[in-house]
Amino acid sequence: MNALATFGRFGWFVADVVAASLRHPLPWRRTIEEAWRIGVRSLPILVTISFFVGTNLALQGYAAFAPMGGQALLGMFVALAGVRELAPIMVAAMVAAKAGTEMASQIAVMRIREQIDALEVMAVDPLWFLITPRALGIVLVLPALTVVSIFTVIASSALVAVVQLGEPGVPFLQRVWATTSGLDLLVCSVKAAAFGTLICLVSCYFGYTSKPGPAGVGSATNAAVVVSAVACAILNYFISELAYG
Amino acid sequence: MSAPTPDAIIRLEHVHKRFGDLVVLDDVSLRIPTGATTTIIGPSGTGKSVLLKHIVGLMRPDAGAVWVGDVDMATASEADKFQVRKRFGMLFQDGALFDDLSAGDNVAFPLVHHTRMSADERRAVAEAKLAMVELEGVYDRPTAALSGGQRKRVGLARAIVLEPEVVLFDEPTSGLDPMTSATIDALIGQLKRRLGLTFVVITHDIVSAVGISDRIGMLYGGKLVAWGPTADVVRSTEPIVRAFLERNLVWAPDGRASLPHADRLLEGAAAEALKGPQPR
Ligand SMILES: Nc1ncnc2c1ncn2[C@@H]1O[C@H](COP(=O)(O)OP(=O)(O)OP(=O)(O)O)[C@@H](O)[C@H]1O
Ligand SMILES: [Mg+2]
Repeated sequence: MNALATFGRFGWFVADVVAASLRHPLPWRRTIEEAWRIGVRSLPILVTISFFVGTNLALQGYAAFAPMGGQALLGMFVALAGVRELAPIMVAAMVAAKAGTEMASQIAVMRIREQIDALEVMAVDPLWFLITPRALGIVLVLPALTVVSIFTVIASSALVAVVQLGEPGVPFLQRVWATTSGLDLLVCSVKAAAFGTLICLVSCYFGYTSKPGPAGVGSATNAAVVVSAVACAILNYFISELAYG
Repeated sequence: MSAPTPDAIIRLEHVHKRFGDLVVLDDVSLRIPTGATTTIIGPSGTGKSVLLKHIVGLMRPDAGAVWVGDVDMATASEADKFQVRKRFGMLFQDGALFDDLSAGDNVAFPLVHHTRMSADERRAVAEAKLAMVELEGVYDRPTAALSGGQRKRVGLARAIVLEPEVVLFDEPTSGLDPMTSATIDALIGQLKRRLGLTFVVITHDIVSAVGISDRIGMLYGGKLVAWGPTADVVRSTEPIVRAFLERNLVWAPDGRASLPHADRLLEGAAAEALKGPQPR
């Protein structure tokens, strides 16, 4: 019941954000700043984690297929699991943990320190000022991060396949190439943009509606990462179902 | 619908506000005169900030009207509220400055959003406002490096940067030592004389209130228990008003206020009144 009420309030919040964004000019400068900040901050951790997810995909794929003489399927496995499925949700989890929590805590602090009230009193729409550039920035940058993640996964799994497992490199990459299509990249980008929007709106919602005091900031940040990660996982299923089901 | 009256720019009519079971404003009516300094005093938690938030439209009353000029903030659209707020400047309790901007850029912030000035022009105007609050040479100082008193001054410079008609102050002296409080009070008095604006102050610092106000209202238990020219309110014989004035004066440094009976400690009727029902 409580969750349902929160969901309803979140719906109104999103409608307000959309209305505010349409009512005012596009804050393109701050959008680019946000995109840059989210991208640069998330990049190192994203590349590191993607790299080691790729290595393990190669190991597990090999362990599963080699006994049946199906080593050649390794490239297909990496492409299906890594490119289609893991990369977008991995990026989402990372961005939720890093950029999402930052958005929630920043906005919650602004709420308790009356800076959001101050914006309203200065006749500057706080939804447009705080949330529009973050939402647009994250939508711009997440597909790019996903592409980076995809290439990292492929590169590291190829590295393990060739160097450690002694598989021939060119057929591996050809397999990957043959299994993935333009549609996959499109689906990944759509997923990334959808996850980004969701993470941003959920995180900003919890920050914006934060209860007073330091405890309020803490629980807003916590709720932001938990709810946005769960929501992305669920959305991930539906988009995959729609695209590939 | 009441007609706009030129002599009272802000008018509250039968304003009620409750949070759950907590009645914060209980039928409050108030006319804040144009061009004067009006102060609302009252103990902590009586709803002074809530009252101020109704005036700027950050909160809506459960019943009643909050007129600013000819706009009722209780029912106004967001667009109308924005128009009203362009006539307001507000100093928040802790300044509400943006930490990622320098002190001067905080002052210039409203100019970015509401004027077509160039960056150089904005800087010049912000420097001039900082000088008005006696803060020269801090334009590029990071906001986090400012002291409490300096933050209030920067907040004040920001509040007057668009040359508003009304400036609202939420606890301008809270959290400051008596010396710094006195300089802030002096600054408010000076700005008042120079700019001739309408000032609305809420505070529980009675010494400050008496020093700067033309008119004082006291909020207690959701009601306005005192309301009138400063000289009348300080002579009020209402027990609860006396209790508040005198208890506060015990802590006041010498010479900052000249209230009658300043030396008298809480006793008699005043003490009885304090034992009575606490503010809801
Ligand atoms: N948004 C809100 N939701 C619920 N209760 C609130 C809200 N805002 C204020 N209150 C309650 O209303 C009462 C009055 O609060 P307010 O902040 O106006 O007090 P105040 O007179 O400004 O006190 P202080 O001098 O300590 O700032 C308090 O009991 C407070 O808890
Ligand atoms: Mg207050």
